[in-house]
Amino acid sequence: MGCVSSKQFKGAAEHEDPAVLAKETTFSVSEVEALYELFRKISHSIFKDGLIHKEEFQLALFRNSNKKNLFADRIFDLFDLKRNGVIDFGEFVRSLNIFHPETPLADKISFAFRLYDLRGTGYIEREELYEMVLAILNESDLLLSDEAVEQIVDQTFRQADLNSDGKIDPDEWKAFASKNPALLKNMTLPYLKDITMAFPSFVLNSGVDDEEL
Amino acid sequence: MATTTTNQDSQVIMGRYRLGPLLGRGTFAKVFKAHKVHTGEAVAIKVFDKEAVQRSGTGEQVMATRSRIYFAMEYASGGELFTRLSRSTRFPEPVARRYFQQLITAVEFCHSRGVYHRDLKPENLLLDARGDLKVSDFGLSALDGGAGGSPRGDGLLHTTCGTPAYVAPEVLMKRGYDGAKADIWSCGVILFVLLAGYLPFNETNLVILYRKITESNYRCPPWFSVEARKLLARMLDPNPKTRITISKIMDRPWFQKGTCPLGDMPLIASAPSVLEAKQQHDEEEDGLAREKKRSKVIMSSPTIEVRPPSMNAFHIISRSSGLDLSKMFDAEHRLEARFSTRETTTAIVSKLEEIAEAGRVSFKLKEKGRVELEGSQDGTRKGALAIEAEIFQVAPSVHVVEMRKTGGESPVFRDFYKQELKPSLGDMVWAWQGGDSPPPALVPATGRRPITRRP
Repeated sequence: MGCVSSKQFKGAAEHEDPAVLAKETTFSVSEVEALYELFRKISHSIFKDGLIHKEEFQLALFRNSNKKNLFADRIFDLFDLKRNGVIDFGEFVRSLNIFHPETPLADKISFAFRLYDLRGTGYIEREELYEMVLAILNESDLLLSDEAVEQIVDQTFRQADLNSDGKIDPDEWKAFASKNPALLKNMTLPYLKDITMAFPSFVLNSGVDDEEL
Repeated sequence: MATTTTNQDSQVIMGRYRLGPLLGRGTFAKVFKAHKVHTGEAVAIKVFDKEAVQRSGTGEQVMATRSRIYFAMEYASGGELFTRLSRSTRFPEPVARRYFQQLITAVEFCHSRGVYHRDLKPENLLLDARGDLKVSDFGLSALDGGAGGSPRGDGLLHTTCGTPAYVAPEVLMKRGYDGAKADIWSCGVILFVLLAGYLPFNETNLVILYRKITESNYRCPPWFSVEARKLLARMLDPNPKTRITISKIMDRPWFQKGTCPLGDMPLIASAPSVLEAKQQHDEEEDGLAREKKRSKVIMSSPTIEVRPPSMNAFHIISRSSGLDLSKMFDAEHRLEARFSTRETTTAIVSKLEEIAEAGRVSFKLKEKGRVELEGSQDGTRKGALAIEAEIFQVAPSVHVVEMRKTGGESPVFRDFYKQELKPSLGDMVWAWQGGDSPPPALVPATGRRPITRRP
């Protein structure tokens, strides 16, 4: 288990024992170790301190450390359980666990709710949905008129906001997401099921990241 | 036309292009030769005269930046007429006539100003918020005659889906033609489609299609009225010289029937289904019963039914590349691609069919906007390849197409995707999504990095 030793890197954060993490999550010990390889790769892509910084996360997702994206920001913030601006290994594994194919749907639904509840009010408000639709359209280089965006948001609220109070509460979200399972497709990463198999290919292709630096 | 281009030889526009001599002149625009200030590279610049554009009544404004040209025009919030047609399969005669009246009125207006459309087809027919018909792209091809000498028809065939279904015989035969008469033919085809719900000339075999068009060989379905048949026969006259004129169309009793002020009244009175489609457009998810009323997409015979499911906001959001953590693992292993397009489902479907044909894979159209491409079992590499494409509607006249591998080997899929699918989709794509292939204009040069295929 030398690969997870915190003494490997000067000033690196203490990494939690894979056995503890495996116990808390769906991952086996060897899967946690495989995840460590991924974590090490990402957390050493720029700052080399054994913690994933926002820029490193963006680099891993977009191959570009400067690419801002509302949703990537949200994911990062949710992964950052201790809310200290970086993701440590324990946070990484626990958060990725949500994305495991065998994780109960209820956990994924609740994670997605927090993801979309941008301001953490306990509700997905109309303005939040509007903001997110604008962000995705912008990201996709889709220029739609304000009316068209309003229409998309209105239509969605009509389906999801069952009590028509202008916000989606967790129960409404649960009902909506259960009815539209495709919404949660991105909450499952098939890779995680055989991370130990998937991982070698990551190593093989990982030369990609360095070019950016 | 009163343009303000003085001192043409030395004028620099937007600090980037030095204008050279005038190459050609159209109704709204002039084309100049120009040079990039920094590189000296020669370009042709189409300069639209705002005043002329506004005077023409089309209400369009043109703006340009380095990478984009913007056309600001009236927002036709009602979407494409075609979409409306798709919902109700075909229109009752009074509704078809109402649209036809508006179409002919618009075409007559433009013809009276010497502007010919040359590419009239349902995709260019939009509806405004009140359900009134608007013809788009009028005058965009106005320069063809001015800059290139005698008018030639080949430009017409460069339609996105490549269908000549709306094109007049004389245009097909690339003879010099009268733009007004060619537009009338196209209006005739449109009238037929409005009334029938399918094309009068529709053959997958282009040779046969051309022959049918040049012979005006079509058949009216039994529900067409006698007057409508007669008018169609005059409009779809293969001889442009004897083909009916706009003013004669407007003189016809059939055309004048039920003429009423443009507004919602006639629509309410005569076409509940159209009204329903208009007003409850965004409530369409509510009525599952209405789902059953599948629409028809007109392409190769026989007509095929497609109705793309519309995406709700969370569906759209969930496709953000920022939420796609699989990219942390291995971008090269992605076996799906997604793009948005402003094309109609018909155009999308026929494009996919075209690609399938060219790549010698079979093509199957499933219900609800799903298309399947499958390699034939002939022992080639593509043998087991299977791709599913799904079409979703995001907004009126905006569709997202998702393609993914459903069978076969991954490298085969990637090769097919890179070498055949992606290049062939070409202009149809508004934007590639998912972050794996951002449009080049969006990627800063420093951030652009080719995907490494081998270590």
